Amino acid sequence: MTRLVRTALICVSAFVSAAAAASAQSGSTAVAIVVHPATEVDDLPFGELRRIFRGERQFWDDGRRVTLLMRAPAAAERELVLDRIYGMDENDFREFWIGKMFRAEVAAGPKLVYSSDMARDLVTVIPGAITFVPVNDVSSESRVVRIDGLLPSDPGYALR
Amino acid sequence: MSKSLRRALAALVLLGPSASAQVPQTGPTVQGFLFGDAIFTEADGTAPDGFQLGQIVGHANATLAERVLFFGEVSLTYRSGSYAVNMERAILRYDFSDALKVSVGRFHTPISFWNTAYHHGLWLQGSVARPEAVKFGTSFIPVHFVGAMVEGRLGNTPVHYMGGVGNGRSANGVGAQDGGDANRHRAVIVSASVQPASLLGFQVGGGLYLDRVPDSGTGATDERIWSGHAVWDRGPLDLVAEYIDVMHDPDDGASLGSSAYYLHGGVRLPGAWSAVTPYVRWEEIDVELADPVFGGAVPDYQAVVAGVRYDLDAPAALKAEYRREKVFSVDRDAFFVQASFAIPIGGQS
Repeated sequence: MTRLVRTALICVSAFVSAAAAASAQSGSTAVAIVVHPATEVDDLPFGELRRIFRGERQFWDDGRRVTLLMRAPAAAERELVLDRIYGMDENDFREFWIGKMFRAEVAAGPKLVYSSDMARDLVTVIPGAITFVPVNDVSSESRVVRIDGLLPSDPGYALR
Repeated sequence: MSKSLRRALAALVLLGPSASAQVPQTGPTVQGFLFGDAIFTEADGTAPDGFQLGQIVGHANATLAERVLFFGEVSLTYRSGSYAVNMERAILRYDFSDALKVSVGRFHTPISFWNTAYHHGLWLQGSVARPEAVKFGTSFIPVHFVGAMVEGRLGNTPVHYMGGVGNGRSANGVGAQDGGDANRHRAVIVSASVQPASLLGFQVGGGLYLDRVPDSGTGATDERIWSGHAVWDRGPLDLVAEYIDVMHDPDDGASLGSSAYYLHGGVRLPGAWSAVTPYVRWEEIDVELADPVFGGAVPDYQAVVAGVRYDLDAPAALKAEYRREKVFSVDRDAFFVQASFAIPIGGQS
């Protein structure tokens, strides 16, 4: 085997290993939807989750106003939520909320949080709050909501 | 993190500049935007061209209590040697639920998609100017509405409704009768739109507006406006189609029907060119020149618009636009370059 072929095989092998590792990593980045412990919701259809995150549904069934806690830009879980729930990139997302405020559909945009810990902690103390955290950051105190009947660990879960 | 520390952090988040005060004990909070633009015009005809400062518009959203909201909008516009300050919108709203929100004040009339979606927010719209039928100062439709509105979502459906009663337009067709209804005949509006959650970016809707326009010297006129729109705004595509039909039935004379439509399309370029969005628009207005409400101020109009929008890495955009118009059968050309922006005041998402 020539040196050139050997080098090429090593490169291909390294690439395949890296791709497999990346794939495995992305498979573990499911995002859990977490609500305030007193919010009486266990399961949300994905369409309804979209309406809540897009500010089209602003009240829970018990009449309390929804407070959306949104991870600040550059977090992987925010990118996943923007892609799956909003179908937007960062620029579209910014324009979307400015437009909603301009049309007087909402009084304010989502509240920014700067870490999973902050999201997980605040959602337990702000009545009506909803947020998202990587599934690995869910704590025993977190009230995780099923999406279309599925938990983050289930096959077919929408936010993976 | 201890419970007391969490509570303190929560209070800071809710009281901070991006807080919506969605717990009543945090008190009123205000969040807003400043919209503005500057424009260069090169046009046929005798109208002034060159550089102009466009409207500067201050927009504030205040949460007074968990269910009580206030929206205000004030514009600063150059007119005849000085700047005029106008109250564009002032809306006090009580949210009973997602299905029922009741408000009073001065609104953008929800009889046109473009009129409510963009209006003074030039940075939000894809082109330099609004379509002629809904442009600033037009009398083709009543762009503002003073009165009371109810709105909400019908159950778990994707249908959003609005209904309102108000003063209607003034005798000259342009104003919104902020000081009361001159002919004691209220205007009524109903509109609805559908935005399926499974089809993000798509919206279809329409509205109906009924009024009796006060006597401007030629007798009062019954007015009926209906409109319909379809929108796709997701990813690289921005498509808007709208049709507006206006029927005026004067006490002394035959009914007069006028109509307008526009088709607007923009496509954001892929990859490294994603800040660039070329766009085109075709628009047309067909009016009865004897219409007593328009009073000859709304022309038969056709235009083809072609332009390009460049989004800066901020809520700011540059737009260059060529417009070929036919106004009262006279052709004219115009070229515009506009810089527009939206400055958030008090928080970001």
